[in-house]
Amino acid sequence: MPTELPYAADAEESLSYDELEVLRLQYQKELAQSHVTVQTKFNYAWGLVKSPLREHQVEGVRLLQEIYRAEPARRRECLYYLALGHYKMGNYEEARRFNALLLDKEPANLQAQSLAGLIDNRVTRDGYIGMAIVGGVAALGTLVLASVIRRASRK
Amino acid sequence: MIGAATVSGRSRVSVGGGGGHVDFATLGRAPLRLGFGSRRVTSRDLQIVEATEELLQEEVPEPEGVAENVSLLRGFNATIPSAEKSRIRRRQTRNVDTPKLGLKRLSLGARGLLGDEEEHDGESVASEDDVVMVGRSERNGRGRKGKGKRKGRQSLSAGKTFGIDELVRQTHEIERDKENIHVRRALISNEIEEISHKIEALDAIRVKLEGDLLRLQEEELELDDELEGVRERIEVEESALQPSRSVSRTGHIAASSRRRKGPAFLPSEHDELPPGIAFMSLESHTTPITALDFSEPYGTLVTASQDDTQPRVWDLLTGEEIGRLRGHRGTVKCIQVEDHICLTGSEDGTVRAWDLRRVDEDEDWESGDMFSLSDVVEEDESVDTSTNGIREESSTSSRPSSAVPRDGPCVRTLEGHTKAVSAMYFEDECLVTGASDKTMRQWDLNTGQCVMTMDILWAISHPPTAAPGTALPAHLVPGAAAAAGTFAVPTPPYADGTWEMYQDFVGALQFWGYALVSGSGDGAVRMWDMRTGQPHRTLLGHTGPVTCLQFDELHIVTGSLDKSIRIWDVRTGSIFETLKYDHAVTALQFDTRKIVAATGENGIKIYNRTSMQHSTLMTNGHTRPVERLRYMDRYMVSGGRDSIVKIWAL
Repeated sequence: MPTELPYAADAEESLSYDELEVLRLQYQKELAQSHVTVQTKFNYAWGLVKSPLREHQVEGVRLLQEIYRAEPARRRECLYYLALGHYKMGNYEEARRFNALLLDKEPANLQAQSLAGLIDNRVTRDGYIGMAIVGGVAALGTLVLASVIRRASRK
Repeated sequence: MIGAATVSGRSRVSVGGGGGHVDFATLGRAPLRLGFGSRRVTSRDLQIVEATEELLQEEVPEPEGVAENVSLLRGFNATIPSAEKSRIRRRQTRNVDTPKLGLKRLSLGARGLLGDEEEHDGESVASEDDVVMVGRSERNGRGRKGKGKRKGRQSLSAGKTFGIDELVRQTHEIERDKENIHVRRALISNEIEEISHKIEALDAIRVKLEGDLLRLQEEELELDDELEGVRERIEVEESALQPSRSVSRTGHIAASSRRRKGPAFLPSEHDELPPGIAFMSLESHTTPITALDFSEPYGTLVTASQDDTQPRVWDLLTGEEIGRLRGHRGTVKCIQVEDHICLTGSEDGTVRAWDLRRVDEDEDWESGDMFSLSDVVEEDESVDTSTNGIREESSTSSRPSSAVPRDGPCVRTLEGHTKAVSAMYFEDECLVTGASDKTMRQWDLNTGQCVMTMDILWAISHPPTAAPGTALPAHLVPGAAAAAGTFAVPTPPYADGTWEMYQDFVGALQFWGYALVSGSGDGAVRMWDMRTGQPHRTLLGHTGPVTCLQFDELHIVTGSLDKSIRIWDVRTGSIFETLKYDHAVTALQFDTRKIVAATGENGIKIYNRTSMQHSTLMTNGHTRPVERLRYMDRYMVSGGRDSIVKIWAL
């Protein structure tokens, strides 16, 4: 049965502060009882990942990793969520690896494929930026060098 | 995002760091990072990155069970607070504007509380989405006529219509909510199952730990016993170091083997024997074993069987028969062995003392029965007929036949009882015997004289606490009602169906210092003071003749033909515990940790006193019911109706 997963766009819409707060309280209440259900943990983690703040995303990914470690039955879904989390944070390398593992298991999964595409786009875009920077730095460097040489030859 | 000016010249793009980590992609991310410069690389980031490696190695199994049915996302959507939204919205659509009723104040008043708060007028219904409300009911206030009657008051819902679209939307929402409930139910059931499993696992761990605690208790009792044994040895060895002490060696060999508590001396090979298995069988008797005792593990064993007047002496190291004790004229019913001294009581009413070191001297036991018969005949001729006398057999008694050496192992004969001697116990120089003439006699072994006679019949008809002269108490065994006559009670059938007439009035006895405890055929256990010869307490409880008995500082344990073993408290006389079995109990021995009993079955029953568990020893065991047993530390000897004596490692 194909895993039910949200598209990456879903991760971009964040929950309101109140809702996240409710989830956090629920999580901490269960923590105090020292029995945290998987669902509560996931709810809180997913809410954190959806948030725009980087620290939330980091915490969310950490919680997702805990779920991954603890519940073998849930691992396949977690692969996707971890990939999404890393994608939002900008760790495209890790995101790609998790996503690749998921695609290994479920080649026909639409969300995973779309996420793979998104990751690729981002990586290329960053590559372009990188190239631009390198080019700019190189240009600046030649300019500086040229002026130094000119000054030296002028003397 | 920082605007990117694509460099047209460079179309080569290195995507997805194939080789190194420093490539254009990472460079491209650098400005991003610099831009939001206040953010530092936290430990959490590193933690995540490190964990990724490890996680990617882990196996990803197929999802099953709840994971398959309810994905995390669905669970999320079902349980987040906004799932409640649609329900709240629908409820609000059903809110009806009514003029202020002051319900809150009413309810507070009904509960007896003061309603302090001001009712806010017109609390608006804050519906988030557009609610289409067509028409409002305003008739409540106007329906009143002058009489104050509310005529034509309509129901709250009369004036409201929602509109088809709204209603359809509500149906969809309700269906979604129902699905959510289904999802949540599945989640909770799964949680409950997991918790049940955890509870089971924890319970199992708890049971195991409690068992460990019991085992520790057992070990502690064992150590206590060992400590006592070691202390006794200290005394013995101390006295050995002081030759000035004039303790007669013959009297004080060591503590009586019945009271010795510490571990026995065993050959090292004994440890390798698997526990609970009979590793040696001694077959020589032809009739059921009636009595047995041994001096120490791997020492000397003396056994007697029915209709055989000669108990046999065995060497337990080799398992060979060393010799026989000739002299008795009837079945030997009780034996006690302490070191090299053996006392036997038999149906002919006499008790004989034997020196087991001299058994080898009597060489003609192998040469058949004819000699022994002729010897017996010759003994009869020279019998001294005084009832309370003693006879000493010495090598110089007048015997016609000189070919056979006459000083056998028998050292002394004690005569006095008129009927079969069925129970006895001796320690140091004092011996007490019980016989079917319903008396018990105390003897001094140095002189061979009977020191005291205790009449049980008299004690029955003159119970210490009841009014004098009363008849026999009614609860005693019916067979004892004919106590004046011969005592004979049929035993309940053994496991193989056989039974016999039990005629031993005194089933068992033991003493320590001046305190003597006896178990008799009327089912009563009596505690006697040997200085006065009077019983000072009678313990009633058994409904059948008492066949076996043992006591220590704390408990008296008795077994009887009523198929039960009772544990009594020595000081108060109350019953601690009753163990019920399927057949009559014929022999028992106990220590702080266990009770070993012969209960009319082929297997030997062991009751663990700390864990209250029963177990049976059957491996390589008897083929007919076990009747007698005795153990020391981890070495046990048992004899059964199959005429075989078996040796066990405990």
